[in-house]
Parts: sequence; C-alpha cells; structure tokens
Amino acid sequence: MTQVLAQPRERTTGARLGLGWLFAPPALLFAAFLAVPLAALAWRAVTSGELADNVTSSLVLDSLRLSAITSTVTLAVAIMVGTPLAYLLARRDFPGKMLVDLLLDLPIVLPPTVAGVALLVALGRKGVLGGELDAAGVNIAFTTAAVVLAQLFVSAPFYIRTVKAGFESVEPVYEGVASTLGASPLRTFWRVTLPLAWPSLVAGAILCWARALSELGATLIFAGNLEGSTRTMPLAIISAFEAGKSIDVPIALSVILVLAAAVLLLLLRVLARGAAMRV
Amino acid sequence: MFSIDVEARVGKFHLQPSFTADNEFVVLFGPSGCGKSLTLQAVAGLLAPDRGRIELPGGAVAFDAEAGVNLPPQRRSVGYVVQELALFPHMTAAQNIAFGLAGWPSARRRQRVTELLALLGLEGLADRRPRQMSGGQQQRVAFARALAAEPSLLLLDEPFSALEAPLRSMLRREVAALRRRLDLTALFVTHDLGEVYALGDHVVVYDDGRVLQHGSRDDVLRRPHSRRVAELVEVRNIVPGDIVAYAEGVAVVRTPWFTSRVRDANAPVRGEVYVCIRPEHIIIEREGRESRDGGNTVIEAEIIEEVAMGNTHRLFMRADPPDMEIGVPYVFEVDVPAHPYQVLNIPSRRNWRIALTTEHTWLVPRDADPRSG
Repeated sequence: MTQVLAQPRERTTGARLGLGWLFAPPALLFAAFLAVPLAALAWRAVTSGELADNVTSSLVLDSLRLSAITSTVTLAVAIMVGTPLAYLLARRDFPGKMLVDLLLDLPIVLPPTVAGVALLVALGRKGVLGGELDAAGVNIAFTTAAVVLAQLFVSAPFYIRTVKAGFESVEPVYEGVASTLGASPLRTFWRVTLPLAWPSLVAGAILCWARALSELGATLIFAGNLEGSTRTMPLAIISAFEAGKSIDVPIALSVILVLAAAVLLLLLRVLARGAAMRV
Repeated sequence: MFSIDVEARVGKFHLQPSFTADNEFVVLFGPSGCGKSLTLQAVAGLLAPDRGRIELPGGAVAFDAEAGVNLPPQRRSVGYVVQELALFPHMTAAQNIAFGLAGWPSARRRQRVTELLALLGLEGLADRRPRQMSGGQQQRVAFARALAAEPSLLLLDEPFSALEAPLRSMLRREVAALRRRLDLTALFVTHDLGEVYALGDHVVVYDDGRVLQHGSRDDVLRRPHSRRVAELVEVRNIVPGDIVAYAEGVAVVRTPWFTSRVRDANAPVRGEVYVCIRPEHIIIEREGRESRDGGNTVIEAEIIEEVAMGNTHRLFMRADPPDMEIGVPYVFEVDVPAHPYQVLNIPSRRNWRIALTTEHTWLVPRDADPRSG
C-alpha cells in the first residue's frame, strides 16, 4: 500500500483493451467525491472574505505553529528510533521478534482514542508509572510532550512498517559485496543499504508525518486541548466548530491544513521520485 | 598459497570443499547446485563453515574453527564478483570502483580509478550509472571494483552467465589476458565446460558439495579419475569392460563390442573398468585406407543420428556386439569437424569403420566411484 507513494506508476494495458470507458465513470465519480468538498471549502473561504483575518488570528497561528512543531518532532523521533528497529526487524532474528511485529501493527489497527487512554493510564499523573515520574519531577500528561508522544504512538508504526519493507527489498548480496570491499557494517549500512532503501524511507516519512499531523483522538485524551500548548490544528478545528460561533474559523483552519498538507506531500513526492530515479 | 579444507551444513546440503591454489587461475567446475558458489561465499567470509580452515594467499588465516578464527569479510582482502554483479545502482561507475578504496588518499584513489577504467576499457564511462551501461560494461565495472584494492585473491562466480554468447567469449578472452597481466590467484566458478577450456590453469571438479578431482586442466579433461568426473567433463563415450591381460603398461580390455589395447600407466592391472574416449578422439576411417597406427581399436558402426553443432557434426554411431547373444548395441558419440565431414562425404553412406585412437583412450576403475552405474 505504501509503495504507491514512492514508485512511478506502471503503465497498464487496460486502456488499450478498452477498459478505459468501462472504468472511467466510477473512477471519475470518486475523484469528484474527493474534490467537491475540498473545492467547497476553498470557495467558502475565499467568498467569506474573512479568511485573511482568521488566518492571522492568534488562535490559528498558535495551533498552526504547534502542529508544525509537534508533527516534525514526532517525525524526527520516529526516524531516529524507527530506522534501527525497522532494520533489525528486516535483517535479524531475535527473541520476541513476533511480539514486536504484533505491537507495531496494533496502533495501526486500534482507534487512536484507545492509544490515548493507554498512554494516560501508563504515563498520566495517576498512571502506572505516574508516581515514579512525579517523584522525578517529570509531568508529561497535558503538555506539549504528551502531544508528541500521542502522535508518535499512532504514527511511528507507519514509518517503521514501510521502512522495514524497504530494507527487506534490498538484496543482501549488495551488503555482502560491500563488506568484501572493506566496508565496515556501519559504512555498508550508511552507503549501501540506506540509499537503496531511500524511496521507502521517504514514503514512510510521508505516511508518518501525515498521520501525526491529523492526530486527534489520542492527543485529546492524553494531552488535552489547551490553547498554545496542546491544541494542534485538528483540535482547534473541533474546538472552533463546537463553540458554534461561526463556521468561518474552522473553514480557515481547514483550508490552511489542506494547503500545508498538499504542499508538503507534493514536495516529498518530488523528493521520492528523485530518489527512485537515482536507483 | 591459498588453501581451503572446511565442512559446512547449509540446510540439508553438506559442503566439504578441499583444495589448494598457488598463484593460478583455478576453475571450480560442476553442475548447478553442487556447492561451488557456497565455497566462494565461505572464502569471502559471507558463510561461516562448521569446521576446518581457510588460508589466504600470503598466509593470512581467514578461518580456523579450532583456533576460533573467523575474519570478517572486510578484513579478508578478497575481490568478489558475484553472479548478479550487484553494482551499487545509486553510484556511478567511478564511485562503484572507488568504493573499496575508502582508506586511500584521494589523489591516489582517483589515480587508481582512472587506471582501472583504462585497464578494462571503460574510458568515458566513469560517470555512468549501472543502468546506463550495457551488460558487458557492467561486467567490467564489477571486475574493476573487485580488483581496485589489489586483493590477494579474486573470486568470480559465473560472471558471464547473464551475457550473450559473443560478448561472453570476448570477455572470457579479456579475463584470460587480464589474468596474465595481473599476478594473482583467482577462483572462477562455472558450469560451462567452454570456460574451463578457456580459462583454467587448474580445475577443481565438484559434485554434491565435494571435490571429486583436482588437477591441471589437461589432466582433468583428458584423464578423469572416475566415471562421474568423466561424465561431468563430457567424455561421452564411457564403455564398460574387463581387463583380461596386463603387461608393461598396456592393458587388454574386453568389452561386448570390441577388444582394445590401452596404454595407460595409471590403469588398474585387473578387474572391471570403463574405457573412456572423448567424441573428438574417435576417427572415421576412409575407405581403403586403414589406420596406420596398428594400436587403434577399429569398430564397425552405423550412423543412427546426427546433430550439427556449428563447426562440427556429432554423429551417434551404433556398434553391435559381434556376438548378438551377449549384449545390446553401444552408441558411440563421434565429433567430425566440418572439413573431414565434407572430404569423407559422410552423408553418402551409413556404415563406417571408426577407430578409437590409442593415445586418447584411458581406463577408469568401475568401483572408483560408488555412485557410478
């Protein structure tokens, strides 16, 4: 599923077989289903005339800044701890490997709210580790750190899964040859394995970052909804919507989120294509 | 001096190669799946044997189970060209070649890369990536990369198998020339007998994880020690018989189809044997011009099938036992080059007299290889 992001599309023979006419209506219908709400959003934002005001409001700017920072930190942590884990899962056998594999799948399958409850029960002030953390002067729940942890919990598995598949697709013979050429294991990893798995790393990063950016359920439960410290953009949208004053604020927030996501996706896709071309 | 004597279990396969090589081109020859490639992996350090010892040219011990020595691949100084080449696709030809020169000063590294590009005729391709090069060019980059750090030992695993025939024979000649210029020990894995002829100083014949015979190329090709080796090196005519007399290096062998006098110093003195002769060493006799060498064994045979093989014709010739009661016909395989084929006008008739030339006939004991028969 994740490879689609990184690999150039294959040319199918479907069109030549006349399947184009048959498959076009449902395909167009679904494309319209995706495009119409987004277009409506853009149209409302432009015609309401308050977009500029809303965009520059502190409410919007604060949540935008918070979302940008937390999702980037989440991605950075996911890359730092997830890449070694993905490599070990792809290349080594170790006791408990099955269990780790299962653990990685759970956050993908579970509703994020469950993740939020679990994090709270483990790391909250009254949680299992809460006493110890409190004694050490560490308070995580309802802080910006909690936002990052909530995002990490639900989004890092997407990165690790994708990168693991990427490492598995690198033929071990490349690493073997590199080692006969005098390269240490670390140099082999850095100069051979990592570049060959690069498209998967980029794809994994996109998935992980996108998932972190849209995180709502786990954040709400574990980190709360405090303006300036835990109210990320998805939370700000919910809050503005529930406050019921005007639908213009949620619209402005949504438009910004859509634009930011689209620009970043496009950028990363270009990056991934560049990487795929090099290989 | 390179030496290997190890045992390794890989799944159900039992690998137990044992041979030595001294500054020469050694061809590891055998059918697919006989353990040749695994042997190279063990030498390169990518497969750890269960017991035994591997010594590299120059005396370094790469592996010694008893002493607990197992050098990692990066410390063995072995150039390894794998079957799939495995050029790094994200690097240019020059970067691929320079990969093994990481510790060199950059000026010397550049010089070495230029030198190798020239040595292998890759000038102008330095900045190409593997996918922008032809199969033959990729092949040469793989060679250059393996040779770059001046390894003491070169391992080549069927490097030409993916190439088309004309390119293959050209590269074979280049490797032979390279081998003469570079003074090094090389192990060359192949299942192609043509490569044994073209490249081998020494040949190690493998079957089922074991070395069946090891010797100079001519020895192995002309004097296999067992029926299995004779089959593997395509002797084709392996005729069961019995030694009925032996005197002064000449054995008299009786088979159901002929009785032959074989001059073979290594021949057993008595017992059951196989009479071996290659298809190219059987002569078709011209009408009225009997073989002048009285020692040749002359047999009446009939052409039953013919296969054109480029510049030679392979004839399948049936010889009936003189006494029809005691046996079935034997079908000899005889190679006739294009010119004699025309001169003799082979298609003109089916029955010919064939002569097994004495100097190319030898004997293999029938009990030498338990798996024969």
